Amino acid sequence: MKGTHLGELEELVLLTVGSLYDEAYGVAIMDEIKAQTARDLNISAVHAVLRRLEEKKLLTSKMGGATSERGGRRKRMFSLTKAGKMALDHNMTIRTGLYQKIPNLTYQFST
Amino acid sequence: MTEVTPPKWAERFLRWYCHPKFLEEIEGDIYELFDRRVLEGQKAKARRKFVWDVIRFFRWSNIKRSNSKLIKMNQLVLFSNYLKLGLRNIKRNLVTSSINIFGLAISIGISITTMIFVDLQYNMDQIHAKGDRIYQITNHVQQENDTELWSDSPILLGPALVKDFPEVEAFCRIEFGDANVRYGSNVFEEDLSFVDPSFLHIFDYPLLDGDRGALKNKTNVVISWDMAIKYFRDENPVGEELAFKFPNGKIKRFQVGAVLAPYPYNTLMKYEFLLPIDNFYDLNPEKTYGWEYMTDATIALMREGAKLSPSPDGFDQYKELQLGSDPEWKIASFEAIPWKDISLRGYDIRGAITGGSHPAGRVALVIISGLLLGMACFNFMNIAIAASTKRLKEIALRKAMGGIRKQIVYQFLVENVLTCFFALVVGTFLAYFFFVPGFDMLIPPLNILFRTGEPITMVIFYFALLVVIGLLSGAYPAFYISKFQPVAIFRGSLKLGSSNVFSKVLLGFQMLLAFITIVGSLLFLNEGLYNKDRDWGYNYENTFSVLVPDSQKLEQLKSIIENHSDVISVTTANGQIGGYMPTQNYEHLDKQFRMRSIRVSENYFETAGLRMKDGRVLSNSAFDQKNAVVINETFAEYMEWSNPINERIVHDSIQYTVIGVLEDFHYYDFYQPIEPVAFIGLGDRKPEFITVRTKPGAMLEVDAFMKAEWLNIAPYEAYERQFQEDVFKGYYQDNRANNAIVAVITICAMILACLGLYGLLSFNIQKKLKEFSIRKVLGASPKNIISIASKQYSWIVLIAFVLGAPLGILLMSNLIYSIFPDPLGLTPFPFVASFLLIVGTLSLTVAGQVMKAIRVNPSTNLRNE
Repeated sequence: MKGTHLGELEELVLLTVGSLYDEAYGVAIMDEIKAQTARDLNISAVHAVLRRLEEKKLLTSKMGGATSERGGRRKRMFSLTKAGKMALDHNMTIRTGLYQKIPNLTYQFST
Repeated sequence: MTEVTPPKWAERFLRWYCHPKFLEEIEGDIYELFDRRVLEGQKAKARRKFVWDVIRFFRWSNIKRSNSKLIKMNQLVLFSNYLKLGLRNIKRNLVTSSINIFGLAISIGISITTMIFVDLQYNMDQIHAKGDRIYQITNHVQQENDTELWSDSPILLGPALVKDFPEVEAFCRIEFGDANVRYGSNVFEEDLSFVDPSFLHIFDYPLLDGDRGALKNKTNVVISWDMAIKYFRDENPVGEELAFKFPNGKIKRFQVGAVLAPYPYNTLMKYEFLLPIDNFYDLNPEKTYGWEYMTDATIALMREGAKLSPSPDGFDQYKELQLGSDPEWKIASFEAIPWKDISLRGYDIRGAITGGSHPAGRVALVIISGLLLGMACFNFMNIAIAASTKRLKEIALRKAMGGIRKQIVYQFLVENVLTCFFALVVGTFLAYFFFVPGFDMLIPPLNILFRTGEPITMVIFYFALLVVIGLLSGAYPAFYISKFQPVAIFRGSLKLGSSNVFSKVLLGFQMLLAFITIVGSLLFLNEGLYNKDRDWGYNYENTFSVLVPDSQKLEQLKSIIENHSDVISVTTANGQIGGYMPTQNYEHLDKQFRMRSIRVSENYFETAGLRMKDGRVLSNSAFDQKNAVVINETFAEYMEWSNPINERIVHDSIQYTVIGVLEDFHYYDFYQPIEPVAFIGLGDRKPEFITVRTKPGAMLEVDAFMKAEWLNIAPYEAYERQFQEDVFKGYYQDNRANNAIVAVITICAMILACLGLYGLLSFNIQKKLKEFSIRKVLGASPKNIISIASKQYSWIVLIAFVLGAPLGILLMSNLIYSIFPDPLGLTPFPFVASFLLIVGTLSLTVAGQVMKAIRVNPSTNLRNE
């Protein structure tokens, strides 16, 4: 179903936002994804995904305080909404459910 | 370590496109990344990546869209404010504004007229949908040293083309003829054209009534709208019968198969009667028309997508065929002229089916209107700057109140474009009511209307005028004026106008253009006036010629007319000076050449008014009639004979001895150079022309008498008479038109020059009124004041004259030498006249203004401070 379905990158970004907790803004998210998955994203792609997730109400954002970094420009800080957390939980449930159904046999064949 | 900054343009680009809502975060992230990369020591890479990031952010969701909430409303409000202020300013300075508007309007009017004229020439006869596939096959005919381009081409060429070249879809030949056409009791002599039935398929002249295939039927005739009215009035002509009596006496009846709609304004190729070409063959059934017969034009229609190169391959075979049947008329090469060029090249083609004028006129007109426009623009700029001196305080106040420079620039630009807009309106009015109709009247063969081939041309031209004049000539004043510092203005330390070098240079330029235009125009006018009264080289008054192809009737008419008491002399010939002067081949030793020659009987030179220079005239003796020739001076020069008498030339294997030399005379007009001409005896040949010289003032009477006698001799044949003085009629008409156009241009240039000086001067004198008042109080004489007020301008005028006059002469004499073979050349007249004219009118203009300064009452000017 469109609207609630999470894309792969969307899920990744959503997870990263959750994990970064109150340090989640564009560059930090990009760095975290690179550190965790070694995926080199362009910053504009991260922004696009964040904007999309916000439109789906899975994220909220507010402008952070001004600092001396970035020429005094403020950061937009993202955080998970309840719906966002629920979507992650939902995905996780499906995955673990499916994962546990995998019989051990499969491993024997593949090794 | 120098600080590394990202590329400025990328930064600006980001700020330009980015939605303001997202700008901060996006910019922040990009900068953070940039700084990090710089710290990592990859400066060049950091800059590269920065650009890349900016470009990657350029996506739909980030772009600032014209959301109504985002428009800065104040720009729009300000614009209406600018407009209102502009209108008020124009109203307040009514005199200067009208000078500006009127000056611009004159040159705009002339430019529009020029544009329409040039556009008409480029669109002439371009009304046919298949135009890009239509070609006229012309041929270059070998003359002695060079080739002549002829429209006339072998009558067999068309059919051969369709047979030999599959990409030729159709051909059409045009053969001109004439006949007496009769319907009921109406009989008129008419020009007609024999054409192939494909004519109406190749050329899609709109039909009013009837069938486009009408010409396929041999007994049909297609007539023009004018002829339908002339012969049938209100009746429907289609299906009616017209009787044609052809020159050889044959009478044939034709049914009207179709009527053409009135010709569009941009047609010169107009035919009144179209007959199927088979009827032309029927006129002389016993004659066979081979490759030697030249029809008036051959048109080829190519298949869709096929092109014909200017010198088509494979046409050489026709050259051989033609040469085989007529060795005298040597076709050097064929040329296929695309339809779009046919009218523009008309001046170059002998016997062209659609005429265009020489491009020199077009070029001159474009140059001159450009000069006038330039003058008006300089004028405009100069007055705009001078006028702004009155508004310096306004500018300073605006700036002091927080107005930014951009707003002042906009204000002035809007005002200038507004002035320009009014000028466009007035200029259009001038063009519509005066220039275009005047032009139309002066050039009768062209139907010049206030319209262009494609309406968009007009729109683009107007837009270009508005932008070029309004913005370009408005930009300098706007930027120049808005630059001033308020402090300088309030303190009064700003110098403008009189001491401004730029405005002097502008005035100088304007005067320079004025002198170029006026000196050039007067030079042209001088040439025109000289040609108006120029000697033709023979006495053309009180003489006329009548064409009588039938020699029996000719003798009859001659014997009657000889006894008329007002007739001084009568002679016969097979040609007429300025009328029919065929070119023929001649030989002298091993030299071969073509020249015009007329066979004449005795009395010819006295009757025609030709003047002998040397030797004697042709008499009636057997030797003179068979073996003697009289030549013109040019012929003797051409042959390099110092004593031409008794020299010999050969024509048609008969030897002719030169017995007399004539003074040179102009036969067609003054455009054509005088070429060698020979008069040889008629011998046994039949004459076709009677030339009559009458006592002064009796010519019309004799003509009427002769016409009446002719009706007795040949009641059904037209009386074809040409007064000798009418030979130059077309030339004089042309000359008059040119002179009128040049005179108008001169007057316009003069008005512009005066307006410019007047505008500038009135400002400067206004500004110096206090100075003059003080000078008067201290005892300055009027002479003193005049010299102070006008000194700087007299220098500018003088310098402009010294530079402009030679330039004008140079430009115009090039043009004149390209038109006339033997022009009058330079005389002091244009210099003196233009100097007197300009200085005179300028002095008058200046005087009016200076009087203001002299008459000033010092107390009124000095009191209020």
